[in-house]
Amino acid sequence: MAFGLAFIYVPLGVIVINSFNASTVFAWPPKEFTTHWWSATFGNQSVRSAVLTSIEVGVVATVVALVLGTLLAFALGRYTFFGRHTVSLLVVLPIALPGIVTALAFRTGFRTFLGLELSIWTVAIAHATFCIVVVYNNVLARLRRTGTSPEEASMDLGADTFTTFRLVTFPLLRGAMVAGALLAFGLSFDEIVVTLFTAPPGVTTLPIWIFQNLSRPNQGPVVNVVAAVLVLASIIPIYLSQKVAGESTGGGRI
Amino acid sequence: MTTVARPASTTGGRRLSAALFRRPRLRLAALLLLPTTWLVLVYLSALLALLATAFFSVDEFTNEVVRTFTLQNVQDVLSDPAYRYATLRTVGIAAAVTVLCTLLGFPMAFFMAKVAPPRRRGLLVALVVTPLWASYLVKIYAWQAMVQPETGVLAWLLAPFGLDGPGYGVAATILTLTYLWLPYMILPVYAGLDRMPDSLLDASGDLGARPGRTVRSVVVPLVYPSIVAGSVFTFSLSLGDYITVQIVGGRTQMLGNIVYQNYTSSLPFAAAIALIPVVIMVIYLALVRRTGALDNL
Repeated sequence: MAFGLAFIYVPLGVIVINSFNASTVFAWPPKEFTTHWWSATFGNQSVRSAVLTSIEVGVVATVVALVLGTLLAFALGRYTFFGRHTVSLLVVLPIALPGIVTALAFRTGFRTFLGLELSIWTVAIAHATFCIVVVYNNVLARLRRTGTSPEEASMDLGADTFTTFRLVTFPLLRGAMVAGALLAFGLSFDEIVVTLFTAPPGVTTLPIWIFQNLSRPNQGPVVNVVAAVLVLASIIPIYLSQKVAGESTGGGRI
Repeated sequence: MTTVARPASTTGGRRLSAALFRRPRLRLAALLLLPTTWLVLVYLSALLALLATAFFSVDEFTNEVVRTFTLQNVQDVLSDPAYRYATLRTVGIAAAVTVLCTLLGFPMAFFMAKVAPPRRRGLLVALVVTPLWASYLVKIYAWQAMVQPETGVLAWLLAPFGLDGPGYGVAATILTLTYLWLPYMILPVYAGLDRMPDSLLDASGDLGARPGRTVRSVVVPLVYPSIVAGSVFTFSLSLGDYITVQIVGGRTQMLGNIVYQNYTSSLPFAAAIALIPVVIMVIYLALVRRTGALDNL
């Protein structure tokens, strides 16, 4: 276990330490430390606009995934119907198939089948599609745990379908929906495999920015800092999702 | 869900509600309409377009995709030994990653579920899950720093023993992919072990089995479906990766980067290559279907 955790955390520690490396060329161990690159990064215009683009895509994708994922969770969690397994397979497929396949499929589909020009919207549509599954999983798990008895009780007490939804079902699901949305946003914010294939030149999300700048030596220190920030920021969604959803959503990304 | 909740007192809302209540099929249709339309229109159509494009050709002058049926791309892919080697290499790498993830992940999951005190388990799960959220690209970048020849961290660690780091190449690719997908193995196995009652371990011990025998004859058969479920992720994710191998793979070619290098010049050819991992995954899923692992996804 100790070895496993060391295997997991040593590389991340290297990233954080290296962001203070004064040298512009990577060499371990660092000889001199500085916080200069941290301040340089926060003023960097291209990093800022990449972060904004990522947030825009993430928000659109999350909202779409939240609506569609919740609807699907209700349909598959509360009803049995012909083709149920096909639908559930279709939800998982975007993340179960190898990334390159999903990526190229989206590009081909958008360009040749739907006749869309690539834009920030195609990125958001693609992201929304593979984010559906994380919302779906979270909401479905909660639906199964709560069962139907609270709703039946509400109906027995005279509330109609909508009142029941508003006062009973939704409050029960809210935590799972928030957790699902957070996971979806995180997934979208970090995504590069599909993004590279669905973004036109000029639409630069943060992962694309990192990817483009990895091979540029003069951007090295800025990339280091961005990487360190992302490592440190990864604690936030985990903390939040554990807090809103209780103990059981830890692995929600799968 | 699809209808805006109105105050229950309005008779219209009440009537609609009653109508919906009496017609579960209508409710189901209302729930399914939007998501299935989206999935079919955006995703299923994309997969079909990919499949179709593999059989189209490219106009040599305009570089546009021409919609005439041809088997040329598939023939090119199948006849050129270079792609056969790339396929074998990719499958080999994905298999190695899966085996490494299992060897590393199973003991960790076992420790988390059965050895660690219950109040620590939540913390351990969080420790394993958190790196999932550290950016994928950053993790690859971290491994670039780890494996770098001469100046890398591993080279520095191994130098006292007179060894050099792995440098860029197949080994670095396998290490990095193992690192990336390890949590996807640990989590299902942990869940599987968590479901297994502790009393089975005690019973096996009482009947005289040593720990090794208990693991081999009791634990592994019981969590086998979970291991297979994890392997679907580690295998599929490795099979379709093209970024890792570009950054730490040196000159190593995997199916993913062949697609990446070709999709701008010839979409149909790239599509034909991309069908290889699809076929491999379909075979893999068909093989593991019998273990019941797919129900755990």
